[in-house]
Amino acid sequence: MSARVLVAMSGGVDSSVAAAILREQGHDVVGVAMRLAPEPERRAARTRATCCSHEDFEDARRVAERMDFPFYVVDLRAEFGARVIDNFVGEYLAGRTPNPCVMCNREIKFDRLWERARALGADFVATGHYARIERGSDGRFRLLRAADASKDQSYFLFSLTQAELSRTMFPLGAMTKAEVRGRARALGLANADKPESQEICFVPDNDYAGFVERRASGGQLRAGKILDSNGNALATHSGVHRFTVGQRRGLGVAAGEPLYVREIRPESGDVVVGPRAALNAVGLTAREVSMVDPSIRQAGPIRAEVKIRYRHPALPATVTIDSARRAEVRFAAAGPAVTPGQACVFYRGDEVLGGGFIERAIEA
Amino acid sequence: MSIYLDHNAGAPARPEAIAATARMLAGADGNPASVHRTGQRARRALEQARAQVAKLIGAAPREIVFTSGGTEANNFAISGALASAGKRRRVITSALEHSSILAPLGESETRGFEIVRIAPDGDGRVPPAAVIAALDDATALVTLGLVNAEVGSILDATPIAEAAARAGAIFHLDAAQAAGRIAINAHQPRCDLMTLSAHKLGGLAGVGALFIRAGITIAPQILGGPQEAAMRAGTPNLVGAVAFGVAAEAAGAAMETERARIETMAAAMLAGLRAGIPGVRLNGPRDARVANTLNLTFPGVLGESMLIALDLEGVEVSMGSACAAGAVEPSHVLLAMGRSAAEARSSLRISLGWNTAPAEIDAALAVITRVWRRVSQAEPLGAIAIGAVR
Repeated sequence: MSARVLVAMSGGVDSSVAAAILREQGHDVVGVAMRLAPEPERRAARTRATCCSHEDFEDARRVAERMDFPFYVVDLRAEFGARVIDNFVGEYLAGRTPNPCVMCNREIKFDRLWERARALGADFVATGHYARIERGSDGRFRLLRAADASKDQSYFLFSLTQAELSRTMFPLGAMTKAEVRGRARALGLANADKPESQEICFVPDNDYAGFVERRASGGQLRAGKILDSNGNALATHSGVHRFTVGQRRGLGVAAGEPLYVREIRPESGDVVVGPRAALNAVGLTAREVSMVDPSIRQAGPIRAEVKIRYRHPALPATVTIDSARRAEVRFAAAGPAVTPGQACVFYRGDEVLGGGFIERAIEA
Repeated sequence: MSIYLDHNAGAPARPEAIAATARMLAGADGNPASVHRTGQRARRALEQARAQVAKLIGAAPREIVFTSGGTEANNFAISGALASAGKRRRVITSALEHSSILAPLGESETRGFEIVRIAPDGDGRVPPAAVIAALDDATALVTLGLVNAEVGSILDATPIAEAAARAGAIFHLDAAQAAGRIAINAHQPRCDLMTLSAHKLGGLAGVGALFIRAGITIAPQILGGPQEAAMRAGTPNLVGAVAFGVAAEAAGAAMETERARIETMAAAMLAGLRAGIPGVRLNGPRDARVANTLNLTFPGVLGESMLIALDLEGVEVSMGSACAAGAVEPSHVLLAMGRSAAEARSSLRISLGWNTAPAEIDAALAVITRVWRRVSQAEPLGAIAIGAVR
């Protein structure tokens, strides 16, 4: 009997083609769309091209009908709220800049959804991510960049473990986006030319600050001062959650040279700004570090290329991981602005070694 | 082949209804309002169907108005009764009712009517004493379900009907889930309005009826031509009405044998589930319940997972109601009965019907027990946040 594969479908072209390919390969495909965003946010987002809307679910349902596999909408709002949204809000309140897609993958798609998959008798979970999984001759699973470098999403998947990779399928890993759209057209899928969603799915209008303010209690918002590098107050602000390290625009400060956010101090509410040059870090520390192949961790400092943001080239660096799942990363050359809260992902060539969440920059 | 155990959502069409539909579509249809002989034939067929439906509930044919279904009949009853309510501004209902009662009443509330929603007991029964206590001379309408769709509880309608008559209020009974399952006489106890739905008893979806007792005046809601004795404009759904008529006749004739068969099968299902799934709980009263409906709380699992897993194994049941996106919401009936949100999320409705076979019960029992074991191990409830969504 063919393997049963639970495919997470958003209604977009990628996950639709992923499901269709698996169906064509003869797998017992079960499509699911996840209800994730809470209702008020969904309503606010309804007119916009975000995921999780009723129209998106209908797009996914049409693909399932066309490709003749069962499809269901599952309600994971409670888990998404507790494990992704609360984390997102908490990170902003703590002066960090979170990456909820990483958390959603770690907590929902490859953890909570896997439980559901097993409950439904499935052997695998599949998604439309652009990344590849390979099994080496030693039996170990490797997570690799997608063939289409411009679409590669391996950054968001760094936390996947051997066990998770063993039961995961990424059918699009070897395809380009153009090939995926072409395949969708050839299969007659109605969403072949649907535009991509760029925003965070649960934040209407991309208004992070407003979202955090609606979800946080008033006492959690930390107002304070904007300081220069010498500690002089330049202005006041209404909350540290409105700032991101490396940010230039919207500081409300006039100065001779462009100023950037260097540091956010959530305890005092101070936001320190400085010139561009002051941002260049020589390294960083990371927490909640996980390695795709845990045996690598014991091997002492490792040479790797490190991505500190999704849309940022990987930088050569040395990574030292301690037993408390923390890492120190030293760049080979002075790096760019390091933003606490973002994921930092360790690569060796096309292979994802692991990663963690940035705690702070190491300054020169 | 799947095993269909969702008759309360809609019963498969009975063979008599399918044959009548085929006959009508093959050339026996027409517009009953036309003067020519095709029209006359259509009119005869429509009136025969009206008589068949009337007979199922002990009514006179002229007391039956065909509608597009139970939902329109409920809307018609409520809006029609309240349009001529005069100074009476109170409506009594319960928290258990179908959305086609609760939604129009919610709308009436915004127009100044006072809606009294009687709380059911823990078994899903509406206490007649509470309804009677709420009745006063300002009450325009009492609207209640005779059989609850989710848990199958049967309303003790007689004292309520008598009290409503004494108070001068209109008494509307939603019998969509009752007709064809239990013996009904619309005049005993005396109802003023009664809702019927064809596809719950083996007719086609898209047709229903409202019984309007002779002598009761309510305002028509769909205006136009003089069809249905000027109570409901529009060319009637002749094919659907004829199928409804023969299905009602077949359901009435087979009622006692079907009831006994279903009672035996449902008892076997319940006993088997209790033996295989420790802690499974029946929601609804032990007595005064239609035998076909088993609403069950399954320990340690999400109903949503059970529902999907069972469907993948070919057993079709239901849970609460579907939202617009196609996801399931916990049953408002169970919540009104005092079940927690977690309990409601762990509950499924199994509903048997006229074509359920004993072999299907045996097969379904094995599947449900096996699936429950798998789901409870794979997705343990303790680890899952199932509280209210913020």
